[in-house]
Amino acid sequence: MSTNHRVHDIGGTEGWGAVPYDPNEAVFHNDWERRVLGLLFQILPHTAKRPGEFRHTLERLASEDYFCADGYYGRWRAGMEVLLHEYGHVDRAELDNRLGVPQGTSAGYRSANVAAVNAETLPPDRITPTPEHRTVRRDLKEPPQFQIGDRVVAPGNDEAGHTRLPEYVRGVTGTVVKIHPAEVLPDSTAHNHGDRPQHVLCVAYQANDLWGEDAEQDVVINVDLYESYVELDEGAS
Amino acid sequence: MSQGADHHHGRNANSPEIRTEALEDLLVEKGLIDRARVDALIERFEHDLGPMIGARLVAKSWLEPEFREKLLDDADQVLKDEQIQGAEIEHVEIKVNEPGIHNVVVCTLCSCYPWALLGLPPSWYKSPEYRSRVVREPRKVLEEMGMSLDPDTEIRVWDSSSETRFLVLPERPAGTEELDLEALTQLVTRDSMIGVAEVKA
Repeated sequence: MSTNHRVHDIGGTEGWGAVPYDPNEAVFHNDWERRVLGLLFQILPHTAKRPGEFRHTLERLASEDYFCADGYYGRWRAGMEVLLHEYGHVDRAELDNRLGVPQGTSAGYRSANVAAVNAETLPPDRITPTPEHRTVRRDLKEPPQFQIGDRVVAPGNDEAGHTRLPEYVRGVTGTVVKIHPAEVLPDSTAHNHGDRPQHVLCVAYQANDLWGEDAEQDVVINVDLYESYVELDEGAS
Repeated sequence: MSQGADHHHGRNANSPEIRTEALEDLLVEKGLIDRARVDALIERFEHDLGPMIGARLVAKSWLEPEFREKLLDDADQVLKDEQIQGAEIEHVEIKVNEPGIHNVVVCTLCSCYPWALLGLPPSWYKSPEYRSRVVREPRKVLEEMGMSLDPDTEIRVWDSSSETRFLVLPERPAGTEELDLEALTQLVTRDSMIGVAEVKA
């Protein structure tokens, strides 16, 4: 069974209660949530511009800020405070001082630093035509290394950097059911190591394979994985 | 607007309202943001975007088999043809509910969601409870959320771990044969296109 080691990587983790479901829920509950949304979209061009960079900022938050009482927009605001500090726009002490709250209140005091990811652990970069507009999609001339029907497994690694490989599928064999358009690799772009575009595989996992014999019946979990995450499971039938 | 801590006297200086307001003031003073552009962006997200965009695609698929076929085959091209643009729809795939097959969408790693088709995601979709549990016990989660599926129905969960975004095409309810595009669009809810509710006539 997976051991969750990243604050955000919670798929399949246990101990959570009922989903706080309200079918008629409004998208904002308070006016400050609106402001956070509006601010973020103007702050990102001054800070986290690369694909995956803002997501990784949220992933670096301390658990108390990631799961903070102010909900999702509270998490975004915490992420903004971290970015503004790291990019030298607003020192983490500045907002605390202005508010007259104890220094150290800002999430910037608790977030982890960006991990140093060794570029040699990433797949090689590949040259693709420069897109006409901002997009994560790339036209790869190399064909996918896998085919629909292939049995694949993502071993994962314990690097501290950004990745879109969920812990719960690590080491479990699934079947390629679809191949999506190629995209830049967030594990690389988030760390400023270039695009390193990859074909993206949709891999179907049987619930029994992920969760064991007591899993719900007739459940398939489909996860999109960058091609470099997986290898052929030669032993799988 | 705020000129420091005095302004906040009598209110909790670290409430989300005060902290956000102070942050905005600081950013304006530093020339990093333009308040009018913040207002405009909020306006656009709140009023121009929303589930009605996805709902219309669903309703049109129910009415026009040819449109449905195109949408399932190449949603990106259909969105281009329909001039639907915006955030978080770089590549879209439609997942069709039919007797015996039910689809449900999640993002376990963050909160990825087809904004340009459904608007901003609701809190429950972003909650750790939904993100953690719907991949492990989707049948139970759906039941708790008010959707009881036949035990023989296969559940297909789609975890939005790349930049592909998923939209569920729910089943058309019985008794809607006389309805036109407008009326059908009104029936299609946000939650039915995430896959946690069915469309009711």
